[in-house]
Amino acid sequence: MDSNKDQWVDERLAELRPDERWQPDVYRGLARFRKQGEKVRDRKQRWGWLVAGAIAAGLPLIAVPSTWASTRAFAQRCVSACVGQSNWVRDMFVHNVPSSVYVKPGDRRMAPDFVLNDASGEPVRLANFRGRVVLLNFWATWCAPCRIEIPWFFEFQNTHWSAGFTTLGVSLDQDGWDAVKPYVEGHKINYRVMVGNDDVAQLYGANSLPTTFLIDKSGRIAATHIGLSGRGEYEADIRTVLDEQ
Amino acid sequence: MNADEGRPDIETIFHAQYERITRVIARVLRDPSRAEELAVEVFLKWSRNPSAQGENAQACLYRVAVRAGLDELRRESRRTRRERALGFFRKSPTPEDVRASREDQERVRVVLAAIQARQAELLVLRTQGLSYDELACALNLKPASIGTFLSRAEQAFRKEYIKRYGQQ
Repeated sequence: MDSNKDQWVDERLAELRPDERWQPDVYRGLARFRKQGEKVRDRKQRWGWLVAGAIAAGLPLIAVPSTWASTRAFAQRCVSACVGQSNWVRDMFVHNVPSSVYVKPGDRRMAPDFVLNDASGEPVRLANFRGRVVLLNFWATWCAPCRIEIPWFFEFQNTHWSAGFTTLGVSLDQDGWDAVKPYVEGHKINYRVMVGNDDVAQLYGANSLPTTFLIDKSGRIAATHIGLSGRGEYEADIRTVLDEQ
Repeated sequence: MNADEGRPDIETIFHAQYERITRVIARVLRDPSRAEELAVEVFLKWSRNPSAQGENAQACLYRVAVRAGLDELRRESRRTRRERALGFFRKSPTPEDVRASREDQERVRVVLAAIQARQAELLVLRTQGLSYDELACALNLKPASIGTFLSRAEQAFRKEYIKRYGQQ
């Protein structure tokens, strides 16, 4: 079979013979081999630790019900950070949530009462606002969709105050007034803001932020907005409830 | 009974085969230092694949080496074509480039990068002096068909060479 070999091709391929003076350095190669092998092992180990750490951190959070609130808050914080950055994330997570439910006057339930302190330390009782339409907004300073809604609430407060409308904000920031006060002062929020707690959030079932309730003059929940609703939806609900006798 | 018992360890094989493997790659590439780097990558890839470390370790190493070399050659060839296409971005050639481009070696490399990968692998390993049995083992071919494959590879090489540079 060798006799059939193409001599012409062999001659061309013989050109590829490396320079005879060149000698591959086995020891340099071996050192490189060991070093790169260690790098690969280190990388695998790092990934292993990362996965183990994530499981070790995640399991207790899932297993212990008392940590669910903080886990949820953390997850919300992550989603909100994404929502704040990107419109398509907002579309995916926020706009798809059924956000607005208006309840006919005959079917409404009473809004649970609560007392919380405002920024000046003065207690604010929800029941004291009977006779006015109240927009009760659960929010947090880190929640990007909440920050989108707040300027709308300014305007509602200005526009409808004289018609018997009040906005109340309940912040669920875990850092309390340390986080909320600078935000309220910095943005010159023109309505009363309180720092809430898990008990109040549970009373209203405010499991995600923002969650907003529109409470009629009799203290009953007339509308619920979960997630980032449209400004027009708020406006329409406020007008409807204000017009009710 | 451990299946690894009696099998030489990876570093022993490295010592025994590194030079040959590097020379296979250096046949294909112009830059010997790049050939040494690639040879180390070949051994790393081989060491991560336990099934390649049996009796046919040497054949596997040759296969991985010649593929690595030819892949790199094709990458270089694509890069050169791109740089030619974008003529105004092209760097002025160094004296080393000019010397290399005049050499017949460069033509052979261009032709190897252009023909089918399997044919190029066969020709490079053949010039390294591997027997038909070793070639068959390295490229997962039947020993009886090596002659035919080799003949076709040579024809393809000749055809491509003449198409590009004429009969010389």
